[in-house]
Amino acid sequence: MLHFVSLINKIKKVRAKDLIVNIESHYKKIILPFVLLAAGIFMAAIDINPQYVDPYKLEYPDYFGNRISIPENNPTTKQGVYLGRMLFYETKLSSNKTISCASCHQQKLAFTDGRAFSLGVDNVPTKRSSMSLANLLWVRNFFWDGRAKGLEEQAKFPLSDPHEMGNYLDKAVIELKKTKEYPILFKEAFGSTEITSEKITKAIAQFERTLISANSHYDQYLRGEYKPSEQELKGMELFMNAPIPEKNIRGADCAQCHGTPKMYMELFHNNGLDAEPKDIGREEFTGAENDKGRFRVATLRNIALTAPYMHDGRFKNLEEVLDHYNEHIALSRTLSITLKNRSNNLNGKNLGLTANEKSNIINFLKMLTDSTFINDPKFSDPHLKRHQ
Amino acid sequence: MKKHFLSLILATSLFFVGISNDLLAQNSSKEPVVKVEGEVLKTLSLSLSDLAKMPHVQATMKNREGKLQEYSGVPIIEILKQAGVTLGKELKGENLTKYMLVRGSDGYEVIFSLAELDPAFTNRVIILADKKDGKPLEDGVGPFRLVVPEENRPARSVLEVSHLIIKFAKE
Ligand code: HEC
Ligand code: HEC
Repeated sequence: MLHFVSLINKIKKVRAKDLIVNIESHYKKIILPFVLLAAGIFMAAIDINPQYVDPYKLEYPDYFGNRISIPENNPTTKQGVYLGRMLFYETKLSSNKTISCASCHQQKLAFTDGRAFSLGVDNVPTKRSSMSLANLLWVRNFFWDGRAKGLEEQAKFPLSDPHEMGNYLDKAVIELKKTKEYPILFKEAFGSTEITSEKITKAIAQFERTLISANSHYDQYLRGEYKPSEQELKGMELFMNAPIPEKNIRGADCAQCHGTPKMYMELFHNNGLDAEPKDIGREEFTGAENDKGRFRVATLRNIALTAPYMHDGRFKNLEEVLDHYNEHIALSRTLSITLKNRSNNLNGKNLGLTANEKSNIINFLKMLTDSTFINDPKFSDPHLKRHQ
Repeated sequence: MKKHFLSLILATSLFFVGISNDLLAQNSSKEPVVKVEGEVLKTLSLSLSDLAKMPHVQATMKNREGKLQEYSGVPIIEILKQAGVTLGKELKGENLTKYMLVRGSDGYEVIFSLAELDPAFTNRVIILADKKDGKPLEDGVGPFRLVVPEENRPARSVLEVSHLIIKFAKE
């Protein structure tokens, strides 16, 4: 009964305001208790997780917009996020008990691992380079080729991959059941001590949604709190503008693909790495010839921290990246049309940026480093604290 | 008995032929198509040859530099009619909150309200182009592109169109 009363209180807290608005005022006094009672009985009867989970408030700047993805069956809660964080750093999820998600996604490197290819349980290198995990709330198709829809589905890939975490998920479920802390954490997050692989991926996805990077110098500049240097401003302008030599407008047109304040747009392009790509990228997933050598346009948030660059980590530093866009675009049938025939010089054969201009763009890219994000204790390894 | 046996063999072999055809179709690279889905009576998957059989008109648009370009293609309205989208007399009431999402194969997306496409509301004819100057569209532009006349920026004239998706605006 006590349980029931507190349940009603909880419903009252959340819903009463909405209900009152909807109910005609002179009926209000009589109907409201009935509605609450009925709702209470209904919820108790069908057992909609009557545990006390607190919604996690995802905070981000207005200029990111609200086109976010959170599935209805996995709302973000404080308890779910905490469990997800524990699991993200949990080596028990891998077959040799040494690898966790964080092995290849380290906070200090904006959740990459500094390698061209990552090593998992059996030291067989991954096919592609690890990706930064920042602002995933705005991503809909995951991986370099967009093959996973949604974070819940994405998490199954590394867990089930024989080389990454050793396809150990079912056994890991048994392992976690044997621990003292996990059954309690699952109960707090999902209402019962039962542990399933689905709940594991749901909790991890909840944690990943909280990885929001929005306090770089560039964000501070957008909010009017930071004054960029001369080089940073010039770099920003080049990054945003398309070159129009006839009008003497200089530009690198990076924003055409990497634009918006999020520094991320969900697009797939061939950015001219190879004339004949070894890794055909999105074509492998869609089967469409026009997708040959296309990869997802990567986020440039924290880009100074996530070397080496591109899906195969072929560029060691940002200087090499700028040299690529300026001088080494490889022509092919599927090369993005924005990278064809564009130059800062009339009839120029390549982009034609000067060394100074390239270095200004790099200065701007460094403005995207968010030290709050990589040092935020909310995203750090919760197991470490316990052992101290 | 023997007759049954024979027909069983025939049925199973037909079954396997069917499966292997599917497998073959999956392995070979897919022919580019435009898919029409969502709030439609009939989903469509149109290839270049399907489009060639439909009525064509000319349409002009300004490119990024502001120069006029002429394309030939099928009015979007004809494609939507074929898919059974609520148009003409049916385009009223809540149907006026429907929109068409156009997606390119690079993931680029823009929308149009249905009323922007229906001749009952507008004289502007937006087309799904498959030719320019009598030739197929160049790589990176085609095989299908949207051509939206009378707009100052070409940003809604989506390149490499892969999907037309009809939806209700949910507030
Ligand atoms: C062995 C290294 C390794 C481990 C372990 C690993 N990942 Fe990854 N992760 C990668 C690589 C490599 C990619 C890119 C793979 C691709 O695109 O094919 C990636 C991509 C991702 C992405 C896609 C990001 C985007 O923007 O699309 C997410 C999300 C992610 N990993 C989450 C996780 C989670 C959660 C775990 C633990 C359950 C995990 N990873 C474990 C190496 C790893
Ligand atoms: C036509 C679209 C397009 C344009 C224009 C473009 N990029 Fe990219 N960029 C991409 C794609 C696609 C990738 C991922 C390619 C891959 O890994 O195969 C990428 C990757 C990158 C990366 C590496 C990201 C990582 O995590 O490894 C950097 C850095 C980068 N671009 C910077 C720039 C800069 C600077 C400019 C302007 C000079 C620019 N890009 C212009 C499409 C584009």
